[in-house]
Amino acid sequence: MGVRVAPSLFDRLLRPLHRWVWLDAHRRGKKLLRFAETEAAGGRDLVRAAELTEDALLRRLYLRHSQDEHRHAALFLGRAREVLQGATGEAFEANWLAPGERGFDDLRVGKQSQDALLAFLHLSEKAAAGRFALYRSLLSNDPQTRDLFGRILEDEAFHMSYTRSQLARISPRKQGLRLWQSRAGRIWKAYLRVATAIASLFGTILLTAQYFLVLPVFVLLAKRSARNEPDGFARSRGRGDLKSQH
Amino acid sequence: MRILGISAHYHDSAAGLLIDGLPVCAVEEERLSRRKNDAAFPLSAIEWCLDYAKLAPEDLDAVVFYEKPMLKFERILTMALRNFPHTWRSFPRAMKNALGEKLWVKGIITSQLGVPAKRILFTEHHQSHAAAAFYPSPYAEAAILTADGVGEWATLSLGRGSKQDGIELLRELRFPHSLGMLYSTFTAYLGFPVNEGEYKVIGLASYGKPSRANEVRKIVRRTKDGAFSLDLDYFDFHAAARRSYSPKLEETFGPARDPWEPLDLGSSDGMRFADVAASVQLVLEELLIDLARSLQQETKLEALCLGGGVALNSVANARLLRETGFKSLYVPCAPGDAGCALGAALWADRMHFKNPHRELPDHPYWGPAVDEDLGRIAREDGLPVLDLPDEAALVNRIADELAQGRIVGWMQGASELGPRALGHRSILAAPQDVAMREQLNRSIKYREEFRPFAPAVPVEHARRYFELPEGGERLGRFMSGVFPVRPEFRERLKAVTHVDGSARVQAVEEKTAPLFHALLTAYGERSGIPVLLNTSFNLAGEPIVNRSIEGYSTFRRSGIDLLVAGRTLVAKKEAA
Repeated sequence: MGVRVAPSLFDRLLRPLHRWVWLDAHRRGKKLLRFAETEAAGGRDLVRAAELTEDALLRRLYLRHSQDEHRHAALFLGRAREVLQGATGEAFEANWLAPGERGFDDLRVGKQSQDALLAFLHLSEKAAAGRFALYRSLLSNDPQTRDLFGRILEDEAFHMSYTRSQLARISPRKQGLRLWQSRAGRIWKAYLRVATAIASLFGTILLTAQYFLVLPVFVLLAKRSARNEPDGFARSRGRGDLKSQH
Repeated sequence: MRILGISAHYHDSAAGLLIDGLPVCAVEEERLSRRKNDAAFPLSAIEWCLDYAKLAPEDLDAVVFYEKPMLKFERILTMALRNFPHTWRSFPRAMKNALGEKLWVKGIITSQLGVPAKRILFTEHHQSHAAAAFYPSPYAEAAILTADGVGEWATLSLGRGSKQDGIELLRELRFPHSLGMLYSTFTAYLGFPVNEGEYKVIGLASYGKPSRANEVRKIVRRTKDGAFSLDLDYFDFHAAARRSYSPKLEETFGPARDPWEPLDLGSSDGMRFADVAASVQLVLEELLIDLARSLQQETKLEALCLGGGVALNSVANARLLRETGFKSLYVPCAPGDAGCALGAALWADRMHFKNPHRELPDHPYWGPAVDEDLGRIAREDGLPVLDLPDEAALVNRIADELAQGRIVGWMQGASELGPRALGHRSILAAPQDVAMREQLNRSIKYREEFRPFAPAVPVEHARRYFELPEGGERLGRFMSGVFPVRPEFRERLKAVTHVDGSARVQAVEEKTAPLFHALLTAYGERSGIPVLLNTSFNLAGEPIVNRSIEGYSTFRRSGIDLLVAGRTLVAKKEAA
């Protein structure tokens, strides 16, 4: 099965923004650190997948894949350290633009069927490979990081290839359906994440408003009680009532 | 009476089951979910405990949560008010955190388990720690000291326990004045993850000199009653969500270490960090010793039971044993929050239901037993598998392999409760060479060079190789004390001797861990020293293995030469 690695249309449209993101050394270093964390977490997910599958071939492939991810994590970390050592100052970060290999998706290894997991991994790897190809093309000012992405891309191509071929082996009749389900699932989860983030933002605004509007009434009492608290030990509350949550 | 204890929602969630006053099983959620330090409601752990005991949730007489959620919420809200307006950033996050799940524990238990609300009980956090520390101890009466970051309000409690009359907590120190928060703030300052990196600070401290101790003492002021209070100008954990130390701490001790920066002990910055680690370690020890000494003088008791996360500081524990007047010191296998699951159940059983005390089995092996899948899995991958006929053959074979310098993943019986691998889920290796330590760090544990590895030794030989004070064997039983390696053996125990000549010894008793004891003895017959390097069976960032497939996946991804689960032995092809 042929493997074509190309950035998505969305990422291609955002190319100028991605260029700006990767231009600053400090931001670049922090982004590489984040990739290191994402790759390590992805590696742990794959270990779990290997531990849960009853299919010996898949187990071997997942274990190899997890080792690749851990190696990538080490490579990203090493490069991040080099970049950050030469960088100064804090730059604005826009991590939402490049959330790493798993994207906005959240992998629940134990809760997915084998073919759904393979479809998910295939799409994740494909998305990551496309993005890494884009980053590589943007990093003419940093040849070492560009070469790092190049090396990692070779592994990503293998990961894309094996997840696709194994999906065809495990689920020959439903492979197309699984891929579409996985695509839809990624979009749904991305929507949920965005919706959750917006809800969280509203929650923060409301709570902050309450903090400044409602709490000050009680602040004086709390501060006075704090002043009256003696230094050092207090008597324990005793055996208490275990039925009470207070 | 069947009582289920639960700890959750901070770190190291766990469940433990008590039947007729005796623990039956207990396990941390992370061992089943495979997420390190998993803080989620421990549904898998609860299900495993109930399955193990063949109970349905409706068979439970009580479910006990290890702390009081409303009291904890009161503390969070009060601190937000007291530090107004500096808490405006942390307040929304703290409220969302509490209101999202942590405040509704009763509802979660009711809905997840179907247990009637009237059977759900709540102990205080430090009551759970105190019960976990005292009831499994071998003493009829003992003083009790618990210390951690924070529970509800209490951060440190002093008390006394009697197996007949129960536990009496006499007094407590309250948030924000906390030994645990002091140590974890410096852990964060030194660039290590809080609630996980404290071991690294202990290891790093041995490389430094406590030259900054006076500066640390200045920020931990002693109070007239023998307690202490933190100078909050140096901290931010009580007011901010982003980080736990304030700019003043950095002004005093220099810039904090970025977590991504490698720690180079050959550089001046590296030595500065080591000195700071040594200084905060020294001050922590001084405070603990003073508190314990005054408790001994007050109670006149000979034994001390120590609980809470601070009790994982094995260097401080050894000093407590030597310098406080207590003749013996007991630290449970899981003094941190995971152990509170059993602690909460014990407190409810003895103190609430007033059941008479029954002596508890004195071992740490409360988790799931190792399964028999290893042979099948390894054969599927074409690896050589050997099923040994009996335990004697197993012990002899593994002792031979260890003597030849092989690294062995060792899985036997039920898994340990708590953070230490005590010979049931361990990676074992010969303790002689520094090269072995470097190999383990490089190809298996992937961790910092300054962190030491621990030795395991049969308890009857422990004094020959290590300088144990009176009561040292007891403390070494769960690897809870750091003691000097005898100078004449340091050359032959290089892989387990820390830079300061010390080691976190596990003293293995035959009746507690017979197979591990036999292995140590057999290894001693081959090498002349019955000591093995024993480190937890996991890779960096992962929980200790539980099932044989997890041991197998760790074995395949690391430099472990041989894997043993029960009597099945698997070798890598090149080692076969």
